[in-house]
Parts: sequence; C-alpha cells; structure tokens
Amino acid sequence: MILTQILIALLTGGIIAWAAESHRANTGKWISLLAILFSFGLLTQFTVENHQLFHEFLPMANIEWISAFNIYYATGIDSLSFILIALTLLLGVICVLVSWQEITDKVGFYYFNLMASIAGIVGVFIATDLFLFFFFWEVMLLPMTALIAIWGHENRIYAATKFFIFTQVSSLLMLIAIIALAFIHQQQTGSLSFDYFALKQMAINPQVEFYIMLGFFIAFAVKLPSFPVHTWLPDAHTQAPTAGSVLLAGVLLKTGAYGLIRFVLEMFPQASSNFANVAVVLGVISILYGAKLAFAQTDFKRLVAYSSISHMGFVMLALFSYQQIAYQGALLTIVAHGLSSAALFSMVGMLYQRLHSRDLSLMGGMFSSAPRMGGMLLAFVAAAFGLPGLLNFVGEFMVLTGSFKSYPVHVIFAALGLIGSAIYGMYLFQQSFQGEAKHSINDLGKRELLICGALLGLLVCLGLFPELIFAHFPEQYSTAMNELASTHNVGSK
Amino acid sequence: MSSLELLAILPQLVLSLAIVLQLLLIAVKRSTLMIQAFTAISIVLAGTAHYLIMPAINTQSTILFYLDGFSLAISVLVLFCAFIVCLVSGRYLKVSQEVHDEYYVLLLLVTLGASLLAISNHFASVFLGLELLSIALIGMVGYLRNRRQTLEASFKYLILSATASSILLFGMAMIYAYSGNLNFHHLSNSFLAVNNPQMQLLFNAGSVLFIVGLAFKLSLAPFHMWTPDVYQGAPAPVSMLLATVSKTAIFAVLIKFWFFSVQYVSPSSEQPMLNVITFVAIASMIVGNLLALQQTNIKRLLAYSSIAHMGYLLIILNVMSHQSLQLAWESGLFYLLAYCLATLLIFTFICQTSKANSEQDNDNWQHWNGLFWRSPVQAAALMCALLSLAGIPLTAGFIGKFYIISTAVDNAAWWLLASLVVGSGIGLYYYLRIIFTLFAKPDNQHLFKLNRLSHAVIVSLSITLLVFGILPDVISEEVRLFALSKFG
Repeated sequence: MILTQILIALLTGGIIAWAAESHRANTGKWISLLAILFSFGLLTQFTVENHQLFHEFLPMANIEWISAFNIYYATGIDSLSFILIALTLLLGVICVLVSWQEITDKVGFYYFNLMASIAGIVGVFIATDLFLFFFFWEVMLLPMTALIAIWGHENRIYAATKFFIFTQVSSLLMLIAIIALAFIHQQQTGSLSFDYFALKQMAINPQVEFYIMLGFFIAFAVKLPSFPVHTWLPDAHTQAPTAGSVLLAGVLLKTGAYGLIRFVLEMFPQASSNFANVAVVLGVISILYGAKLAFAQTDFKRLVAYSSISHMGFVMLALFSYQQIAYQGALLTIVAHGLSSAALFSMVGMLYQRLHSRDLSLMGGMFSSAPRMGGMLLAFVAAAFGLPGLLNFVGEFMVLTGSFKSYPVHVIFAALGLIGSAIYGMYLFQQSFQGEAKHSINDLGKRELLICGALLGLLVCLGLFPELIFAHFPEQYSTAMNELASTHNVGSK
Repeated sequence: MSSLELLAILPQLVLSLAIVLQLLLIAVKRSTLMIQAFTAISIVLAGTAHYLIMPAINTQSTILFYLDGFSLAISVLVLFCAFIVCLVSGRYLKVSQEVHDEYYVLLLLVTLGASLLAISNHFASVFLGLELLSIALIGMVGYLRNRRQTLEASFKYLILSATASSILLFGMAMIYAYSGNLNFHHLSNSFLAVNNPQMQLLFNAGSVLFIVGLAFKLSLAPFHMWTPDVYQGAPAPVSMLLATVSKTAIFAVLIKFWFFSVQYVSPSSEQPMLNVITFVAIASMIVGNLLALQQTNIKRLLAYSSIAHMGYLLIILNVMSHQSLQLAWESGLFYLLAYCLATLLIFTFICQTSKANSEQDNDNWQHWNGLFWRSPVQAAALMCALLSLAGIPLTAGFIGKFYIISTAVDNAAWWLLASLVVGSGIGLYYYLRIIFTLFAKPDNQHLFKLNRLSHAVIVSLSITLLVFGILPDVISEEVRLFALSKFG
C-alpha cells in the first residue's frame, strides 16, 4: 500500500496547501514542500526495506474497482517505475522551489494543481491495470492544463487548448486499443480483463496486434513527443509557468517513454519489431528537425523546448533498435534529460523574473553582472550538448553505440544531432550572457543556487558513476531485451 | 385485465390522476406556489411508485404497454429530470403577479407522455405518447408570449414536429402493411419469417420513414435544423425539458424499435438499415460538433452538442450479435444518465440566473468570465458538467463514453469509432473554451446570485456526476439487473 500512501500524501498535501493558503498567506508552499519530502521519505524507507531493488515486478495493491468490467485498482513497482517516481518527486521539489516567488496570484489553487499533477504522474508509473493507467494518464492532464491556462504567459489559452486536445485525442485512440485488448481477452478466456500481466501473455492475431500497438504508439509518440505530432510542445512549454515547464519537460515527456517501454515494446514484441523501421526513422527526424528548429528560435524558452524534441528522439531511436546497450542508454537519457531540461527551464524562469522577457535578442553580456548564473547556464548547456563527464553524454553515447549495430546509417545521421545541439547550445549561451552588456542583473540567490547546485551535482555525480542507475537494472532486463532482439532479428530475416 | 397488469402502469396512472387533480386545484384556488408543490409531490409519488412495481417487471399490460427493466429505468430517469425542471421553474417564473398554473399542467402532460413512451411496445401507444409529449411541449416552448424569439421557436417546433409526426405515421402504416400487426414484438417474428424481397422493401421503407420521424424529434443530423432556434427561443426550463425528458424518452423508443425488430441480424448479409443508422450517426457527430464551435450562446451551443451526443448514442444500435445486446442496453442507459445529469446541471444554472420577464435568458457564456474566482462552487459545478459532456475521466461522462466505445469495439464498428474520436476532438475545443472562460482573469463583474435551493441542486448534481465517474459500481450492479430483465 506504500505507493497508494505516496499518492494520498501528495494529494492531501495539495488540498491542505490550498485550504491553508486561503487562511494564511505563504503557508501553501511550505506544506507542498513538506508533503513531497514526506513522500520521498516513504519511498526511501520502502527502498531500504526491499534490498532486491525491485528486480522483479512487485505487485502492491489489488482491489476490485468496477465490477461490471472486471477493473481493479492494481499497482506495482519495478526498477523502471522506481527510477521515474524518484525523478518525479525530485523534480517536484524543484518545482515548488522555483515557484517560491514566481507565483503571486491564486497561490493556494496553484499548489493544489501542482501537487495533483505530480500525484497523477506518480499514478501513471505505478498502475498495472490498463484502465487505471489510462485513468491516471488523463487525470494528470487536467491540473497540468490548468497550470498552463491560469498561470501561463501571454498566449496561454491557445497553448493549453492545443496541449489538451492533442493529448486527449491521441489517448482516445489508446483507450480504444485498451478496450480492444480486453475484448480479445474475453474471446479467448471468457472474461474481460484489464490486467497488464494477463493481457501481456495473450497471443493475438498479428494483424490485429499491429493496429492495437499503433493505438498505443500514437498516444505515447504524442507525449514523447516525436516528429509529426510534436507541435503542441513548443507552445505548451513556452506558455507554461516555470514549474509547469519543468514538470512537462522533466517528467511528463517521460511518461511517453515509459509507455513505449512498458506497453508497446513489452506487450507487443512482434508488432513493434515490425514497426521498428518506421519508429527509428521518426526518432532520427525528431533529432535533426528538433535541433534545426531550436537553432532558429529567438525565444529562450522555445529554444529549450525544441531541444527537448531533439533529445527525446534519441530515446525513440534507442528503444526501437533492440540493443541492450542502447536500451540502457535510453534510460540514462531519460534521467539526464529530466534533470538538465528542468535545470534549463528553471534558469529561464529566473531570467524572466529579472528581465520580464524571454527574447534572446534583448539579452546579452550578463556574465559580468551575474557570473554565477552564467557559469551555471554554461554547465547546463554543456550538459545538454553532451559534454563528457555529465550524464547526458553517457546516455547519448550509449544510445549511438548501441543502435549502430542495428541501424548504422540512421545512427550516422542521428550523430549529426549532437553537433546541432552544440551549435544551438553555444548560440543560446552566447546570445544571453556574452557580447555587449545590455543589462545588469542580480546574481543567483540562495534558493536559486540550491536548485541549480542540486541539479548540477546530480548530473555530475550520475555522469561519473552511471552504475548508480544500472545497479537497478540487472540481468532480468538484459535477457528480456535479448529475447526481443532475437525475435527482431528473426523478424527482419 | 389482471391486477398485475394494472400495477405495471401504476406510475402513469398516478401521473394521470395528478393531472386531473391539478385541474380541480386550479378551479379551487389559483396559487403558483401551491401548484408547483403539488406537481413536485406528484412527480415524486410517481417515482416512488416505480419501487412498488418491481414485482410486475416483464409484464405485458394490455396490448399497448410492456414493462421491462429498461423501460423502468428510462421512466425513472424521465421523472427525475422532470422533478428537477419543476424545482427550478418556480424561481424563473416568479416575476409578476401572474399565476402560472397552466405551465405546470403542461409540464405534467409532457412527463406523462414521456413516461408512456418509455413503456410503450406498440405503434399506437408510441404515437399517442409522442403526440402528448410534443403538443404539450409546443405550448411550453411558446409559453413566454411576450418574447419575440419564443413565438418564432414555438411556430418552428409546431410545424416541424407535425411534419415529423406525419412522416412517422406513414412509416408505421407501411410497416403495418407488411407485418399486419402493430406490436413491436411481432416485428421480429414476421421479419424473420417473410423472405419476399418486395415485402422486405416495403418494410425497409417503412422503417426508414419511422426512423426519420424519430430522428427529427431527436434532432439528429440531417434533421437537426430546428434545434438551435428552439433551444434558444424557448424559456430556459423548457429547453431543459426538451434536452432531457423528451430526448431520453424518444431515444428509448428508437432503441426498442431497433432491437425488437431484430434488424441488426438481418438474414441477408446486407444491412440497409444499419447503413442508414451509421450515416446518421456519423453526420450527427461531425455536424453537431462543428457547428457548436462558434457559438457564443450557451443554449445554442448545448443544442448543437446535444446533436453530437445523440450521434454518439446511435453507435450502440450497431450490434452484430445477441451476445452484445446486454452491453448495448447498458451503455445506452448509462450514457443517457450521464448526459441528462450534465445537461440538467448547466440548464439549472442558466434558469436560475435568468428571469422570465427579460427579453432574453442569461445565455451568453462570455458573461461567466472569471466566475471561478468569484464563486468557486458554481464554477466548479459547471466545470464538472462540461467535463462530463466532454467525456473526461473523474466524471460520469467518461464512463458513459467508455461504455459506448466498448460496445463499438465489441461489434467492430471502426468507422463509427473513428468519427467518435474526431467528433470528441472537435468537441473538446468548445468545452475547453468555456472552462477557460470560467478561469479567466475577471474583467467584468457579472455576479450570479443563486438561492439555497438552486445551489443545493447544482452541487448535488455535480457530486452525483463525480460519484458515477469515480465509483460507477454504485450503480452498475443495478443497471445490469435492470437491463438484464429485457423483453420476454
């Protein structure tokens, strides 16, 4: 029940924050912070008690929910979920910290929405009943849309509507696929089931399997986001308040990657390996196209947003190349991008508070007045373009090395994306902090230094010792991936 | 006629008696408050009567009516909606010294017609119920005779409704020529027995006309033209009645006719009628949602969105086998329930913020700008209803949509599903626009004062929506039991 306790702690924390704020100002943020830290404590305690580090899938709760459809409230955790939940809670703390002074309007309701969307995201990572998964998948959207629509920047309504419609329509396709799976289960065994493990074991007619897989794939590709369905992302990221962008880039995009691994790859090995060629091409296009568009931006936030598309392209490429090394690289990239994009978006937020503008052409030469800020920005930009020693480098390097075995030509093009990221990264830094001094700004305060320092510390630490993450992924995963790889090879031959 | 048969139509008898008593009451003393209370009590009594008639389930009462679980559930739903309408009408009409006795008589007549439709199993009773419903509704649509729009709306409704009725009658005549019997049950027998292609053609033509007649009343595309004008022109409580009571009852007739005549398992492989239904469903989903996009008048917007919702509901008629019948009945009931609750909630808000003596109702949703910050309760309730109509989780509308998608997947209706996805994608846009308006930074100070009763109504409706959305199990078991006991 510990996972449910985390959910409840987050949600009640949000509600109490909302209630408390209306009685006494400035209590909301403290309560939210404490609730997240408390959840973190619960998770840590649970991890310490389970020394195997969730090598096997650990089912937790299983309570009947909707009897008409045989739907259960079923949760479980394994190392993949664990890492993503830890990332979510960590970025949750960052989100509260970056909102500390930014949000002055309707503060209580803001923290309620923030906490509710964090709870929804944690829910996505722990659900093992497909209906429950879908439920959380949708529920996390509502508060996120509210965050964008109420506390966002000038064009927020447009961005929020676009974000909501894109994700809703694509997830409706996923819902149809889920229901189709349940009815196939009914045809085969006589009863409906939404249980992940029961559905995973089913043998499905290949053609039907392909269409069902496609339903899932589209939903996750929109969230990731991948090339033709990425257009919601720049708007949503740009218009969201800082914490919203951090949460969007840091973990919401990762739910797409999580879905690809957990559902598309593991439930439909055959169909997804047939689809791999298309997916890999989409990944490569996302890498190059994202990098190119990032370079063309004059809006600081929009630039970082496009770079996310590029980075998530690496994840897509790695997952569909069916190589153990690439798969591990994808996991590292997920974590690395979570941390580094969160850091970059926080920096944008801090700059926006000082300048009230995100326009790069109005910035310049701020290094002299804010050296610490400039240094941090340089470090994070370096992380984003893959400076050795930082986690992003390890991740992307492993992705490229691993995928080369299956898709050499694609990888050669994908590697160009690294050059692209160096170009737009340096462009970003140069435009904002170097050159002729146009502004003089305050340097980082203590709270801001804490945010940047923590994220940078993690990036360096994990970059030097990626084993800290791999320790969670023992042989069990490699065998699973090897099986996939062998079926893939058979399929391609 | 046995006592069981009489028992089966007890709620309708209660309603009829109440109408007679209403007339007597008017003769004795004209008091708006008294007649409103009397109407509300008689609707509650008729509702409670449903509890008594449980033993009479699956009873044929005369040749006209047949009480099964589905009819019972529809009838309860109709009475519930009528009860809410009756509750909220009081404040809306209370503007002058004028006494509104006739309004409540018409309200009960509409309710009686709808509840007769719910249990009717014979073309004659369908026609009687339908006319009772429509004629009383025409009176109600034109009730506020000082408003210009109202007169236009009632004339439009009168003419089109009469046209639809005559088409319906013609269809019935053709079906009668084919089957020699006006009973719904008989249709399936004769349909499967006769294989003469010419007779089949006669039957199909009759069915098309019958369905077109019903589609007019349900405002399905392409027979939807009257809907927005009538919704906008009619007094708000009457639009509410039109959107819930009349739609629910008429849809019940359609679904019964369809499943009783067993056209879905047509002996020949071609399914001409199914094509008609599919076309109408797809057209309604797309047209309704597209036309709703640019509406600034909430009543017109709801009119268009109801077209789309009726389109979604038609999906459940696409049933390929007897096994999926159960699911289809259940889906229909649940979706109607979710739709009615959400529609009632929004219309309650409109009614309670408008007055009968103004030229227009308070139906411009731009006035709701920033409502959330001034009155969180009202805005949260409205948001619940809108999210439910859009089919977003946590609300009953999502479970309803889940039911419909399940039925469609079970019967491999991929085209209908595709247009459902497109339709709800378009639909999201206008629902979201209203929700964002509720949350916008307030730039005007329209304050909507509601009295305690109307607050209680919208809050309890929104809680019901959430309960059905999060724990649908509280009803599912009951719904299943009801829907199981279907036609003998």
